[in-house]
Amino acid sequence: MAAAIETIGLTMTYRHRGQFVEVLKGIDLRVEEGTACAFLGPNGSGKTTVMHILLGFLKQTGGEAWVLGTNVKQAIERQRIGYLPERPQSYPFLTGNELLDMAGRIFGLRGRKLKERRQDLVEMVGLNDAARRRIGTYSRGMLQRIGMAQALINDPDLVILDEPTGGLDPVARLDVRCIIETLRGLKKTIFFSSHELSEAELVCDHLVILANGRVVAQGAAEELVGDGERLEPYFLKAIGARRAA
Amino acid sequence: MTKQITIASVVWLELWRRKDLYVVMILMISLLGYLLSLNIFGMSSSHRYIMEMGLLLSWLMSWVLTVNLSSRQLPEEEQRGTIYPLLAKPITRGELIVGKWLGCWVAGSTATLLFYLLTSAVVMMRGGTLHLITLGQGLLLHCSLLGIAAALAMTLSTRLNQDAAATLTYILSVVFFVFIPDIPEILVRENTASPGLLSAAYYALPHFEVFDMRRRVVHEWGPAPAGAVGLSIVYALAWSLLLLKFSWLAYQNKTFRRELTV
Repeated sequence: MAAAIETIGLTMTYRHRGQFVEVLKGIDLRVEEGTACAFLGPNGSGKTTVMHILLGFLKQTGGEAWVLGTNVKQAIERQRIGYLPERPQSYPFLTGNELLDMAGRIFGLRGRKLKERRQDLVEMVGLNDAARRRIGTYSRGMLQRIGMAQALINDPDLVILDEPTGGLDPVARLDVRCIIETLRGLKKTIFFSSHELSEAELVCDHLVILANGRVVAQGAAEELVGDGERLEPYFLKAIGARRAA
Repeated sequence: MTKQITIASVVWLELWRRKDLYVVMILMISLLGYLLSLNIFGMSSSHRYIMEMGLLLSWLMSWVLTVNLSSRQLPEEEQRGTIYPLLAKPITRGELIVGKWLGCWVAGSTATLLFYLLTSAVVMMRGGTLHLITLGQGLLLHCSLLGIAAALAMTLSTRLNQDAAATLTYILSVVFFVFIPDIPEILVRENTASPGLLSAAYYALPHFEVFDMRRRVVHEWGPAPAGAVGLSIVYALAWSLLLLKFSWLAYQNKTFRRELTV
């Protein structure tokens, strides 16, 4: 199976107040096409930094990364990628429909095709009634859902979601999980970071655990966690063991 | 060009829905309404005075509107975090800058057109006549200058926050408008220590005064030669493109704030 995402020895060092901070210390990861991969780790472990390198927002200081077969140092195939940032914000003066139209036009969608796609997504994320309202009036959960819809406007092959359920109430979290499961059913590659271990267990084929800028465990969920065991103790042990080391 | 127009349309919607334009229009109407009610020493030619004041207000308000709008576009995208999903789409940073600039420039020019229409209406109410070609030339040059102002504010906002970029744009605009044209006179009059530096500044920095046709409009001197107007527009376009190029250079490898606070 081909890799949708692959990194080899990815490193990232920042200069912060005159000192060098090593945020990523050689990340090797591989996400197969058509799978759902959870990217787990405590705050500050480097999850968002890896995502930003993959999307070309940041340039790594070492190592290589490929997205859909293209090295991130070159122009990656953004036409095939959907991205939801952490704590998504939007243009408060636009309506949900206008935001989706804007996103669609950037992807080259027009006229009826754009309208149909927008309508499908609005239904998928459950914003039928609110899509004509200004985004400034949306709740946190609605912002997350409209963010999800704009990430999917181009029917992407690879969906990168940065903490899609972060800060949401249980009902909104369940809605987001349903959307991820729908995408799984459509055989999309999903790469998402989360702090919700139970959620990762439920919706993902593959887990990558990051701690202190290093991958401390990765593999299929059933391979990493034994029968009858839960992910949480395994996760805590993985990041704790690394810290102790 | 579709991507740039899409980005520009968001700027227009922002201006419209944030009601900045309404506030400026209401202020303009109030001031012009006051001028309309004045009887200036019983003068029959007071419409010229009103035209002069109206054009001055148009310059000031369109300037404030364009500079504020342009200087906040990129910093607000970064603060809101909307820059990330935007740049994850097939749009380059250069296309984003051009789209934003186009939006600000067209928005500023549209507001200017409204201000000119309002001023013209008040002048006609006071019995004045309009020299449409001269007024049209004045409007065209005014809008061309707003293109440079928008590009300057955008360039500065790639590295500064919104307030700093707007303030610096105002200061530089005053320098380009007032100080730069006076350099030859200063060189003749004063015994300056660095005449070479001043001469270099005179030729290297933009001249905003070439876009000001207010006196020609107010005193009804007739239209300017078409060639001069055309050259001035080309000059504005060249400066706008140069500043947009600087914006792109400053923005292409910019690391956004989130990464700096790891």
